[in-house]
Amino acid sequence: MPGTSEERQPTLSESYTTVFAQEEMAGTSPERQPIPSESYATGDVLVAPRTASEVIDIIKWKTRGNLLLHLKCFKGDSLAAAQVQEVRSITRIERIGAHSHIRGLGLDDSLEPRAVSQGMVGQKMARKAAGVILQMIREGKIAGRAVLLAGQPGTGKTAIAMGLAQALGPDTPFTSMAGSEIYSLEMSKTEALTQAIRKSIGIRIKEESEIIEGEVVEVVVERAAGAGGARLGRLTLKTTDMETNYDMGTKMIDSLLKEKVYYLHVYKFDLLIYFDMAYLWYKGGSGLRGVWRPPPNLVQAGDVITIDKATGKINKLGRSFARARDYDATGQQARFVQCPEGELQKRKEVVHTVTLHEVDVINSRTHGFLALFSGDTGEIKSEIREQINAKVTEWREEGKAEMIPGVLFIDEAHMLDIECFSFLNRALESDTAPVVMMATNRGITRIRGTNYKSPHGIPLDLLDRMIIVPTAPYSQQELKEILNIRCEEEDCQMSNDALTVLTRIATETSLRYAIQLITTASLVARRRKANEVSMEDVKKVYSLFLDEHRSEQFVKEYQDEFMFNDGAGGEMAHTLKTTQ
Amino acid sequence: MDDQKKTLKYLESVEKLAEEILSDKREIIMLDQRRNENREALREVSKQQQTKCWLTVGSVLVKHDIKSAKELLEADQKQLNIDINKLRSDLKIKVNELRDLEMQPPVPGFMLVPMSQKESSAFASAGLFPS
Repeated sequence: MPGTSEERQPTLSESYTTVFAQEEMAGTSPERQPIPSESYATGDVLVAPRTASEVIDIIKWKTRGNLLLHLKCFKGDSLAAAQVQEVRSITRIERIGAHSHIRGLGLDDSLEPRAVSQGMVGQKMARKAAGVILQMIREGKIAGRAVLLAGQPGTGKTAIAMGLAQALGPDTPFTSMAGSEIYSLEMSKTEALTQAIRKSIGIRIKEESEIIEGEVVEVVVERAAGAGGARLGRLTLKTTDMETNYDMGTKMIDSLLKEKVYYLHVYKFDLLIYFDMAYLWYKGGSGLRGVWRPPPNLVQAGDVITIDKATGKINKLGRSFARARDYDATGQQARFVQCPEGELQKRKEVVHTVTLHEVDVINSRTHGFLALFSGDTGEIKSEIREQINAKVTEWREEGKAEMIPGVLFIDEAHMLDIECFSFLNRALESDTAPVVMMATNRGITRIRGTNYKSPHGIPLDLLDRMIIVPTAPYSQQELKEILNIRCEEEDCQMSNDALTVLTRIATETSLRYAIQLITTASLVARRRKANEVSMEDVKKVYSLFLDEHRSEQFVKEYQDEFMFNDGAGGEMAHTLKTTQ
Repeated sequence: MDDQKKTLKYLESVEKLAEEILSDKREIIMLDQRRNENREALREVSKQQQTKCWLTVGSVLVKHDIKSAKELLEADQKQLNIDINKLRSDLKIKVNELRDLEMQPPVPGFMLVPMSQKESSAFASAGLFPS
């Protein structure tokens, strides 16, 4: 097999040059042309399994540089699927979560809490405190301190943390984790905490590039006689203020005429991963196929493009509005933009915010930046972190970077153990520490990993460093307001007396239980084809679904009939242990 | 009366700065246009076989030695680059001042020194610079 593929190679690349030449002359899509080739041709489907030598050949063809290939890799076996395989864009599906109605802390400009605002109700003292903390974070004054939100279950601790995150805006890093997330078999507890801390520290950096931005008036490519001869080209660009010509070399012409993009699922990859894909291809055996297809001309008259001065990279922004009526039918991808204004050669500055953790990951040699996509980062060596820290300090001294201390929110903080607490104690002293917010619903309880008891299950020395913000149970009026907001969020019309009943349920059982009843009741109402949830619907779901208290009663009543009935809970745990 | 004077003075300073920014922008456009014209001319001149060429000085056409014409153009190009860069850095400071006068918060990261080419490409290849 290797022998034959050796022979085939030149024929193939030749055939492509012919295809492309024909295309340029005829000016039509190459797919419709008859292709003079005895081996592979445009639109051919290469079917796995293929031999190893053929896979290597594909890579060679690509790396030769003058090939006009557009390779797509996909799973599936129908030919139709082969030709329409596209890069799927990830659209985010907004789900309705427990706190999706919260859009901020609901404070006015003087940090006074409004009664009902941005999805927040009541809890005025705690919100005002959060507002003060917010101001301190914004001014960068609180780094290295900690805040504890303490209160009974269902008093809005997580809601306040969420509100704070929303109020900080997208620029400030906010990491949210649950205390129990650190117990993983793949990562030590301190590593998980360090990663969480570094995810909460951002650095702001600036990217600057000189670009030429304009609308293409004309692209002319002259081909010298004979195949492979040097080509000359001329590109005319304009803005609303000027117009100018650029002479182009062979390389520039190439990048103007063809699109060198390789797709694999949703990401653009470079050569390195391309090899990976070839390996996949080979390994995959059945079901993996690729389509050879010469790419379309990248740039035409009427396109608005940018050319990076340093790299010569061409970026197509869209088509000019002035050319919108050139064709009656346009593809889906056609995007129309205004002809650029001002000078042709611009300086483009973009400010990016990246977290220290992201920088760690791309420099972690064992994983490389692929880990950013796969999410499997594993442990990062401390030497790497030290190097990054040194580099960031250097950047700050040069004025190249600004630190943004963000917020690390640890929910259920009592799940952390004594080792984590002492680690946090030390980590908070670092000059680049983020603000650590914790939330707990425990009173005086055992510190995990010790036999000592402490308020909130947090050791006294750490507690001493914290600002403690208490949350109090909601009043009946506030409960009603929250239920009302949740009804809106869950798209549910509720009659007034149903809401009153629901509020009553919320005061007697819990707010969470009452919120659960909203959607269930609205489903019941929809089944009897009513638009509005009535009192009967609420009563029905109240009888259908038990709350915690009634469930407990039920269990107590029928305890004898349940399995493993040993009476006390402590012994039950014991039985479980022995059965394991 | 005093208040009115103060307001007027404030408005005057804001308007003055804004006008400066606008005129600087226009100047950059004009300079860039000349830079592009010079670039085209340089290209044409380098393709020429003759030893002399025509130069316009204001509204006068002058026949000039091609070699020194090229030198003139190159010197002009150099000066234009310097001028544009200077205007751009000054513009940045002026915009910052104007925002300050208008009581707007400064743009985050506005005065940062940009990353070097190498650093930028490293970040970009890792996917940290979404384009």
